[in-house]
Order: sequence, then structure tokens, then C-alpha cells
Amino acid sequence: MKFVCSKQDLVEAVTIVQKAVMAKVTLPVLEGIYIEAGEKVKLVGNCFDLGIEYTLQADDIEKGSIVVNSRIFGDIVRRLPDSEVFIQVKDNFVVAIECLNSYFEIKGLSAEGYPMLPEVDEESKISISQNTLRDMIRKTIYAISDDENRRILTGSLMEAAAGDFNIVSLDGFRLASAKTMIKENVSFKAVIPGKNLNEIQKILETTDDEIKITLSKNQALFEMENCRIISSLLDGEYMNYRSFIPEQYETVIEVNVKDITQGIERASLITSDDKRFPVKLNIADNKLLITTNAEVGISKEEIEVEMDGNDLTIGFNPRYLLDSLKVIDDENIVISFSSSIGPSVIRPVSGDKYLFMVLPVRMSN
Amino acid sequence: MERIILHVDVNSAYLSWEAVYRLQHGARIDLRTIPSVIGGDEKSRRGIVLAKSIPAKKYDIQTGETLWSARSKCPNLVVLPPSYPLYLSCSDALVRLLKKYSPKVERYSGDECFVDLTGCTQKKTAEETAWEIKERCRTELGFTVNVGLSTNKLLAKMASELEKPDKMHTMYPHEIPEKLWPMPVRKLFLSGPKTLPKLYKLNIFTIGQLAHASPDLLQHHLKSHGLTIWKYANGIDDSPVVPDGRAVKGIGNSTTTPFDVDSEKEALLYLLSLTETAAMRLRSNKMLARVVTVSLRDTNLSFYSHQRRLVSPTDSTLLLYRQAKSLFKEMWRREPLRHLGVHLSDLVENKFYQTSFFDDTAVSRQQAIDKTIDEIRASYGADAVVRGLFPHSGIPPLCGGVYEAFPTMRSLL
Repeated sequence: MKFVCSKQDLVEAVTIVQKAVMAKVTLPVLEGIYIEAGEKVKLVGNCFDLGIEYTLQADDIEKGSIVVNSRIFGDIVRRLPDSEVFIQVKDNFVVAIECLNSYFEIKGLSAEGYPMLPEVDEESKISISQNTLRDMIRKTIYAISDDENRRILTGSLMEAAAGDFNIVSLDGFRLASAKTMIKENVSFKAVIPGKNLNEIQKILETTDDEIKITLSKNQALFEMENCRIISSLLDGEYMNYRSFIPEQYETVIEVNVKDITQGIERASLITSDDKRFPVKLNIADNKLLITTNAEVGISKEEIEVEMDGNDLTIGFNPRYLLDSLKVIDDENIVISFSSSIGPSVIRPVSGDKYLFMVLPVRMSN
Repeated sequence: MERIILHVDVNSAYLSWEAVYRLQHGARIDLRTIPSVIGGDEKSRRGIVLAKSIPAKKYDIQTGETLWSARSKCPNLVVLPPSYPLYLSCSDALVRLLKKYSPKVERYSGDECFVDLTGCTQKKTAEETAWEIKERCRTELGFTVNVGLSTNKLLAKMASELEKPDKMHTMYPHEIPEKLWPMPVRKLFLSGPKTLPKLYKLNIFTIGQLAHASPDLLQHHLKSHGLTIWKYANGIDDSPVVPDGRAVKGIGNSTTTPFDVDSEKEALLYLLSLTETAAMRLRSNKMLARVVTVSLRDTNLSFYSHQRRLVSPTDSTLLLYRQAKSLFKEMWRREPLRHLGVHLSDLVENKFYQTSFFDDTAVSRQQAIDKTIDEIRASYGADAVVRGLFPHSGIPPLCGGVYEAFPTMRSLL
């Protein structure tokens, strides 16, 4: 096997497939990157939970395949001078890497034992822009639970139905969901592990190029122009999150995102030493009063809002509010409070491209 | 700056308090002057010596030995049952007295306190203050104490272990060779039954020998504990006096059963009963617990425990019991049990409660029930309301001691 490619392309390819290579595994072949030269050059990283295949532009290709140790190969490639890289497999799986005046030989492994990525049944496939998917993951991933006792909640639900595509995360204390429209008339539900979504989010580019998402029974496939990502799914039934979203609200406000975000950030300075203390929101007379009262001191801040409904006092963990407020790009939002002890819902002023729900801190007198 | 630390140790605490109480209520004999012990209930298999009088000590009766064996040493031994609420109020009285001398009073166990007198002795010397405390305990509270005076907690405690009763001793660093080192090593704090055989094997019998042993050698044989006791033997200890302000770290409740528990039904009733008492204490402390631990001891006295962390902290008897029940079911090896315990920890104040999707909607009703039952029990006595499962079961509906509220020194050091 041999080929020539640019150093930059190779670094990008290695960096991406390395996200699917585990550092310490029992089988040495799993610590490797699989490289296959055919019509094009293909790099694969696979840790069963996550598999990534990246297609690389290359010339002077001589067919063949090899597995190289991910860490050493990656370290070498990254340090090479910016020029053409020449890769060749010699006898006994020795891999030669040559770039300008640098020359390396490293020991490779036979590609035979490498676990290839599974084929995914193309049952239901949708396509959206990479930008949209990236934004939807950004809006929801922080609400994933880290509680291993409820494994299903350590992932995000991807759900397609009736021309809508939703991503939902919830950890029991808050919920984040993002929605977009799709052309395809398919319906599916799958829960993608949070750590895989995190890697996928990093691979996605800021482009309107399409990404195709295919969901089968036990895998999800994400296909871009030169990259395929296969993620395992989390087993089990996701919580029926829609049943948590209240239908009736006691108080509804429209508020400027920057005002409320900065107000809560300032207020939470007082509680940053002792996370037990909530921020208190007091809504009355078209005003939102944000206060904190902790052992170190107190804070007060008043914001103009448009309100509808009754006066209300409610407490929140400021982090839960801020996590959601910080991913909102709109100028204004609508916050609906079901009651001072029930869920509160954050929505756009118009449309339904996101919905965040936060449960309050009950304060005893 | 040198610290001034006092250790105040009530002499034969349970017995003195019992004696004082009885004298005040017309008893003619002072229990402290005759061979007497406070002992658990033999019928329910708690028959061990909890405290002994000085005359009983002369018969070589040891704390912790069975009453049967104590009686065989001294046939006319007087045995009295313990009354924990009395001891708790005596202990409180002692703490109140000590707080008049310094704000830094640490209740280390029911009958032992540390006081940090640093900066609190302007008019009198430390020795005079220590003496005065000892005298006031006898004259105002009616029981005698030993007071140890030194520059750290360890030395103060070792000082109060010297001659008893009703004595004040100092053990300043310069007195270590003379007072601490001749003592047998078993008297040293934290040299218990696991440590002693190892020390004896190394030919270490006195605290002085331990102090002069090589710390490397001790670490090799006893791991980090070797270094700890070597430091103690040299009088080194910099742990602060922690005024507790009743900072409860965990609420535990356990009971030795009067019969071997071999059915799941009975075991679960015991757990419910223990949880009920523990949860009541949790609520009266205005706390919520996040970790539930169940511990079991079988008839061979082997001990094991399991614990679980809850998604959201709670004070609901029902929710806590559900966890205890499921823990018990996964851990019990079906052998007969003689001791069961429930421990609630990782406590937070109940002032703020982060609600969650998993909150059982029935819980707020349960909490209202818990609150009402607590109030009824507070007004009309603990047995005014009991769960219907308990009558005729032979198992008390509210199990466990009142007297476990103080963290042990081990957990503080």
C-alpha cells in the first residue's frame, strides 16, 4: 500500500477518526487507525460505541491496507512539515512516513483483525444542514444527565415524525429541546449517547452542506461528504417528556434575553460560594425583580418585562436558567411559569424551534 | 502560638448521672460507692456492661463485658438499666457549663468534651481555669469529671486518662517523657485490638517505645495508621477543636434484635421501624438526606452494609424506607440476623429543594402525613400513632436509640 497526500488533509483526517479510538484497550488493534487505499484513501477509527470513517484526497495510490497505532501515528503526522506526505507499507507491516527531509518507520498491524464498521440498514433517512444539526446539539446537549443509574438520560433523544425533527435532552431537573423541519416523511425515535453527540458536534462544520441521518434499530449513521459516523444507541424507552410540559400557565412574561441573562449572572455571584442558595424571581407590575440572599450578602436587580397573568415569586438554580439562556440567539423570549412550584418553560416569541423547561427550587419559609 | 486545650471526661458517666439522678429523687445509697453497673437488657440480648462504678472496677469488671460474666465476678453487683434521655440532658448541662469558658466546645462523645481555651484565660491561668471547671462540675452539676490540660487534643485526652476520679492533670509537651511514655501502649488513642498485636510483635509495649520506634518501620507494618500513632506517641496532633453546633453529618439508627431475625417480613418491619425513627430525627433537624445505608450483622457478628444515593434528597419516611427495602433485598444473604441499622447521610438543609421530574406526586401528600404524625407524636407521645403493621408483630414500631447524635472522633480527625 502507498499513497501521497497533503499534510493538512492527513492531520484533519487523523484528528477526526481519533475521536473514535480508545486510548487503553485490551486488543492492540483497537488502539489503531485502519488505513485502506483503494480508489481513494479511507481512515477508520472504531471503538464499537462510535465508529468514524473519513475519506482522504490522495494520489499515486497503490492498493492495500494496514492498521497503525493511533497515538504515535497522530503525533508524527501533526509534527510533520507542511508539505506532501508519502506513506508506504513495507514488509512485515512496517509503515514508512516521509515528508520533505523527515523519515519515520513505525510498526503497523495486519488489517485483517480490524473490526470494520457495520452496515446500517437504510430504513429511515433524513437530511438537514450541518449548521442546523450543530445548533440543535448545542441547544440541547448540556441538559443530558450524568447519572449512570438512569442511563437512558445520558443520551439525547432524536425523534422524527410528521415532517419534524426533534432533539431532546433532560436530566430530571430541566429539559432542552430543539426542532427543525424535514422534507422526508419518516418517523423514528433513537437515543444517542451524549459523549458521541459531543464528538459529532465537534466534527460538524459551519456550513449549510447537508448531513444525512439514518436510524436503524441499534445504530445511527451520520453521513457527510467525506465522513461517515456510526454511533451506538442507548437501549430503553425514553421518558415521555411531552407529559411534563404544562398546558396551563399562571404567569407569562416576554423579556430581553441579554437583560435577563446578565441579571441572573450578576445575581449568581452572591450564591457562587454556596450553590444551595437559589436566585429568586419576583414578577409584578411588568417588572421582574431578581434577588439573591445568601450568607455572603444579597443582590437585587430589576428588569422591565411584558407580563400577562398573576404576580409570582419563584426560585431557581441559576445555572439551570443560564445554561438555557446562553444558547438562545434571539433578542427576546417568552417565559411561562406554571406556578411557583411547577415547571417553567422558555420559548421563542414566535415559532417553536426550541423549548427549554426548568424546574424550580422550592423555598420553605 | 501555643494552644490551650482541655479534655473533660465524665467519670463513669452513665453511672454517675444515674447515681446523681437517683440521689436527687430520694435514693439513700450512692451507686458510685457500691459495686454497680449500668447494663443493657439481657432478655433482648443487649446484656453488656455500659458503665461501671469504681468499686465495681475493683472486681475487674470491664466495660463491654457481658453482665453474666460481671455477676460471676461480683455476685452482689447492682445492675441498672440505662436511661438515655437523662444522660443526654446531663451531657447538655456539661456543654452549657463549658461554653461559659470558651465558644469552642466540641462534644466528642456523650461524656467527653474538648474545649479550646486559647485566648479565653485572661484573669486566671489555664491550670486555675481547668481546676475551677472540675470543681464546678462536682458542686454545680453533681458529678465528677477528669480534666486534662495541654496544648493539643491528643495530649489533653491522654492527660485526663491519668488517675481518676475527680482529678485535673496536665500533660504539656515537656512532660511527655515523664507522664506519657511510661504508659502501656494500649492506653494510647487509636491503639485498638487490631493494632496492639502488631505492636507487641515489634516489641513495643509502652508509649515511649512506640515514640522511639522508627516511623518507617511502623509505616511498613501498619501503613499510614503506623505514622498516625507514632505522631500520637510523640504528642503530635494538630487537629482543631471543632465546635459542633450540632452539625449533624448523618443520622443513624440501629438495633440489636431480641430474637434472631430470619424472615424477610420481620427484617423489613425492623427496617421500617428504624427508618421511621431516623426520618423523624431528620425532619426535626430540618434536613434532607441523599444517601441511605442499610447495615446488617448476622449471628456470627459479621457485619456488612450497602448504600445508595438518591436523585433528590428527601425526608419522607416512605421514600427512605423504599430505598432501605430495596437495599436490604439485594444484600441479605438469608442468614439469621441479630442487628440491623439504617443510616441517613449526605444531609442538606430542607430550606431549599430542587424539584425534579422524578418527584413522586404522591410524595407531597406523604410529607403532609409525615408532618402531621410528627406533630401528634410530639404532643401525645411517640406511641400515640403507630403503623398498623406493627401491633401483634412483636416488633416495636419505633426502634433504635436516641443517643447516636454525636460523630465519633475517628470521623472528625
